[in-house]
Amino acid sequence: MPHLRVPFFDLRPYDNPPRQENMATILQIADGVTSELNTATLSQPIAAERHFVPSYDLQELGVLRVSVVPIELLIMAYDRVASKYSARIDVAVQKKFEQGTNQEIDPLIVLMEEIADLFRLKRLTQMPEARCVAVEHPVLYSAEHWTQNRLFTSLLSLSFQLAR
Amino acid sequence: MTINLLEQGQAWLAQQLTTHAARQIVYRRGELGVELTAVIGKSSYQQDDGHGVLTRAQVRDYLIDTNALLLSIIGSLPRPGDRIVEIDAQQSYIFEVMPLGGEPHWRFSDPFRLKIRIHTKQIDGG
Repeated sequence: MPHLRVPFFDLRPYDNPPRQENMATILQIADGVTSELNTATLSQPIAAERHFVPSYDLQELGVLRVSVVPIELLIMAYDRVASKYSARIDVAVQKKFEQGTNQEIDPLIVLMEEIADLFRLKRLTQMPEARCVAVEHPVLYSAEHWTQNRLFTSLLSLSFQLAR
Repeated sequence: MTINLLEQGQAWLAQQLTTHAARQIVYRRGELGVELTAVIGKSSYQQDDGHGVLTRAQVRDYLIDTNALLLSIIGSLPRPGDRIVEIDAQQSYIFEVMPLGGEPHWRFSDPFRLKIRIHTKQIDGG
C-alpha cells in the first residue's frame, strides 16, 4: 500500500487525483467512510449506510443503525492550480434500548470511540488522498431521543481534507 | 354524606367506555404481564428531528381503569419502558410507554382519577 508511506500532512502526492465520473467529492469521501466502517473489525458488527437525512421508524431501530451523512464542504485555494477541500462527514449510531442501563449503553459508547479511532489521523483506504484531520463527538448521546423515544442516538463528526 | 353527581356521572361514563369502546390488551412490565381492558384514546404519527436525524413513530394513547392496573400483578402506576401488546387479526403490535412532547408518560384522564391516559409509541409489529 504505497499511500501508507506518504507523510500524513503532505497533500501534494495526491494533487489532482482523477475525479470519479458523476460523483461529487464529498460523496466519494462519504462512500469511503461507509466502506471503511463496513470492512472494519469492531466490538460489535455494524452495517453502515450512506444517507442524506437518516430517517427511521422507531420499529426499525431495534437493531443497531449506523448512518454516514455528508454535511458540508469548504473549497479553498491550495496553490496556483489546486484547491483544498475540507469536508465534514457525520456518523450517526442509533439503537432502541430496553432499559437504558449502563450495562446496555456502555458498549455503544465504546463503539463510538472505536469508530473515532478508526479514522483519527488516517487516510481512507478507498480514497487515500482524503485524510481525516479532526474527529469530534458533539453528541455523545441525544437526551431528547433518550427521553422521548427511549432511543440511543450518538453523533460523530469527521473532518477530511484533500487537494484537488 | 355529600353526593358528588359529577363524580357519579364520570364513573358511569368511564364504565360505558370500558363496556362499549374497549379492547383487550396485555400490559407488560419485564416478566410480569396482565390482561386488561383498554380504550384507545388517540392514534397519531410523530416525527422528531434531533441533530438532523429523523425518527418517526406511531403514537397511541390507552385509557385504562386506574384500579384495574393498581390491583393487578403490576401493582403500580405506569413506568417508562412498560409495554402494551395489542393483538389484532392474529398480528401483535407492541407499544412502549414513553413521554410525549412536553407531557409525562401518563396522566389521570379525569378529575376523579378513575382512568389513566398512557402515552405509548409503537416499537414492534405491524
